[in-house]
Amino acid sequence: MSKSPRTRRRAATAMIAAGATLATTALALLPGTASASSHREAPLISTMPLVDNTDVYSFVSPDKPDTVTLIANWFPFSEPNGGPNFYQWQDNAHYDINIDADGDAVADTTYRWDFRTDDRRVEAETILYNVGPIESLDDPDLLFRQFYTLTKITANGEEVLLQDVQVAPSNTGPASVPDYGVLREQATYEVGKGGQTFTGQAEDPFFIDLRVFDLLYGGNLSEVGQDTLAGYNVNTITLQVPISEVALNGNGKANPVIGVWSDTEMRSLQLQPTGGAEPVGDFVQVSRLGNPLVNELVLPVGLKDAFNAITPDVDATIPAVIEQVTDPDLAQRIEAIYGIPAPATPRNDLVAIFLTGIANNAPTLDGSPAPIQADLNSQVLNADVDPAKFVPSEMQRLNTAVPPSEEPNRLGVLGGDLQGFPNGRRLADDVVDIDLQALEGAFAGGLPPVIIEPLAAGDAVDTNDKKFGDAFPYVALPNNVSVNDPANTQPDTGPASVVPPLNTPGTNLPTPSVVTGIAAVALLGAGFFVIARRRETVAPISS
Amino acid sequence: MTGDPGPRSRVPVLLVVIGLLLAVFAVVGYLGSRDDTAAPSAGTAAEPAARASALDTFIYGAQESLRRKSEDAPLWAQLGAAYVEQARITGDPSYYARSQGALERSLEITPEGNGEALIGLGQLANARHDFAAARAFGEQARTLRPYTAEVYGVLADAYTQLGDAEAATATVQSMLDLRPGLAAFTRASYDLELNGRRDDARMALERALAVASSLDDQAFCRYYLGELAWNGGAVDEASEQYEQGLQAAPQNVALLQGRAKVAYAQGRVDEAIAGFQAITTRSPLPQYLLEYGELLEAAGRPDEAASQYEVLAVQQQLYAAQGSTDDQVAALVAADHGDPGEALTLAQAEWDRRQSVFSADALSWALHVNGRDAEALTYAERAASLGWANPTYSFHRGMILAALGRRDDALAALNEALTLNPHFNPLQAPVARATIADLESNS
Repeated sequence: MSKSPRTRRRAATAMIAAGATLATTALALLPGTASASSHREAPLISTMPLVDNTDVYSFVSPDKPDTVTLIANWFPFSEPNGGPNFYQWQDNAHYDINIDADGDAVADTTYRWDFRTDDRRVEAETILYNVGPIESLDDPDLLFRQFYTLTKITANGEEVLLQDVQVAPSNTGPASVPDYGVLREQATYEVGKGGQTFTGQAEDPFFIDLRVFDLLYGGNLSEVGQDTLAGYNVNTITLQVPISEVALNGNGKANPVIGVWSDTEMRSLQLQPTGGAEPVGDFVQVSRLGNPLVNELVLPVGLKDAFNAITPDVDATIPAVIEQVTDPDLAQRIEAIYGIPAPATPRNDLVAIFLTGIANNAPTLDGSPAPIQADLNSQVLNADVDPAKFVPSEMQRLNTAVPPSEEPNRLGVLGGDLQGFPNGRRLADDVVDIDLQALEGAFAGGLPPVIIEPLAAGDAVDTNDKKFGDAFPYVALPNNVSVNDPANTQPDTGPASVVPPLNTPGTNLPTPSVVTGIAAVALLGAGFFVIARRRETVAPISS
Repeated sequence: MTGDPGPRSRVPVLLVVIGLLLAVFAVVGYLGSRDDTAAPSAGTAAEPAARASALDTFIYGAQESLRRKSEDAPLWAQLGAAYVEQARITGDPSYYARSQGALERSLEITPEGNGEALIGLGQLANARHDFAAARAFGEQARTLRPYTAEVYGVLADAYTQLGDAEAATATVQSMLDLRPGLAAFTRASYDLELNGRRDDARMALERALAVASSLDDQAFCRYYLGELAWNGGAVDEASEQYEQGLQAAPQNVALLQGRAKVAYAQGRVDEAIAGFQAITTRSPLPQYLLEYGELLEAAGRPDEAASQYEVLAVQQQLYAAQGSTDDQVAALVAADHGDPGEALTLAQAEWDRRQSVFSADALSWALHVNGRDAEALTYAERAASLGWANPTYSFHRGMILAALGRRDDALAALNEALTLNPHFNPLQAPVARATIADLESNS
């Protein structure tokens, strides 16, 4: 205690001298906790960042075009601030990457990572993650180790691909981890024939100026354009497999389209076990992610928990979900405040982007012709798919027959680059700008899309602050200095704000007030953005 | 306690002055404790207490955001819920008023279908011991947000306290099956413990600890792991849990209370008294004042004990004046250290509000101290009906049985109390031993 009892007593005497007003104030503070302990008040709002899906990526590997790379990330806002802080994987959980190749909204292939922990800190009588530089995975200085088993689950059963192999640790700083690249290499394992996987930490590849949603009322666009996720890491699982491993009937030529999403399951507990005495329970899904920002820009607050709990095959049976896709709040609000007309409803263009994939004969929910006349990325394009069995659902859809772009465009399909989002998602795809454009109707008239000019600059963050790799696992090495460190203000790709908003020549830059205003509306629609997306860490609130 | 002091209840001017002093101490204590946590202690390599928690960060971010967009109903509701959580962690009840303000603002903006605000109001009502209101809010919220785990947390807490044990268990199960995280596992543990399944309760708490991502949450799990050990008489194991918790949260008052009572159980009486003095200075909650007083009394310092009871009595009158409805603890305090008639009035009032094992125990003991042991036994048996291994309840039941002349049953209950935890209470454990000796010699 910093104050001696004597000091306190003096202070108390002085305060009494100040009169009855103070006492009244003090009394007002007391009631409510008549006895905090007479009933047990347990935490209600609990955070689970370890199992919080943040982003999913799927793309044809640029350097190995006969393979597909799938990336799923967890644990947002992992800051490399050293000390005892590190970012682990949850035991007693399933981390899944799912693939639906036949379009029935049920996974045909699930890759599942199950973790176990070897914690040597108690034995070493320390709370520290490491007690010296970690130079290899088996370095004795590394006191907290995690291992995983990778299982492939298909209709044919379960196949263990990797048994109890080690995760690359958290990057706890330059002194503790002199060369993360070495650890990453050691933690990259061959999977089956021609596949590989890495599980460990990476720089958060998502880029966005979160402040775009906060600066709007000030109308001060000069500050927008900074990647506010710069400096943070995530826990990442990256997997590269031959396309034939995940294509329907193993035939990527005839069936090139796959649907991809990730989810996390945790083990429940049975309070009244009927069988044995062990009160264990089933695994239940606690987090789910396919397309980026669906939970933020499309779904209202009241649906987020439901969406995280349900599996894709249920999506189309929930009217509230369908309603938000066919008539999104956000477009209505932007029209109401800024006069940018909301596209006509029902928004079958959004149904195609989020729920069915884009195809000439993509099944719309109301039976009308598909508005985006192009054969891009719906599973109905697979030769072996029976369109009658297709079930609309929210997932990322990737046509693996589209070859890697020579010159990738950050706006993906919106920028005329068919290899990018919403055809899968590459690390460098600017999904914030693309999603906002899509919601405002850029695809409503089909392809080619029409850029909605007042929104063209988006959040003015066009690239990630770190360069992505040319080869597996593509994600950048994890940051190893604190987020507030000056080193993080020196992005190695140059300031994003100097990049022109679009490749289209002659694009008129929107006025700051309009852009920020729209961002404001987006925020109103989305709720507290940081919280919504990263709710497990920043906002332990049901959102 | 009502405004009518009753014939035997005296509130001398002196006590009012003590009350005011206490209130001021409370404020100074809170300020002092805040200073303590804000300043990193020198010489410690890692100082977890100095770090802003995710909850702090959220509250700050939400406040900032709401300054700019004041019409965000869900965010107001989330802020209101976060304030309740903050009150729980800091013990600072001023967060309740702030919570209410934020929740009311949320409802003002979105009066219909505002599930988030209903959850927050339910959470707040539970924290204020208005369990019937919490149940009503929770049931409304459930129809709006059937997939939201927090709804079931609000409802489970309310059902548990209202004595609807079956509904409580079923609701905790729903919560577990929706979101098997810290909030669900800690409630599962409590439910299992109340139903007499201590090993399972510990296992559930270990599951909770394994998913506890904040230091405060870790401290919570460690405290109740310690309590499970403590209530099973495993003093060393309890101590280890409390100490591990204090590594995560050095200022956690509950854990400091755990450390102090371990000190007493291990014969380090002065250390225990110093511990409770520090605790009651920082957090003058009735429970701590009561335990402090009983400790002093057991240590042969009756005058100092009496002054703690006086402070406690005034404290409770202050609460009553503010409309608090926690008569259960007040009844037990009155039964053991005050006016038996008042104890019965309070216990009966609490029982009329909720028929839980907690209120059954309080009423049984209040009836006992009024010599109405036949009636008391009905309630004592009700308190034991779930199978909760609670040494205090066993002691109460044993004393009632002894008064009724049911020697063998009394011996069984009193031995049960001491077997569960020979240190369950510094005053009552010796009484239990003496009563056992008395019963055995009169065979």
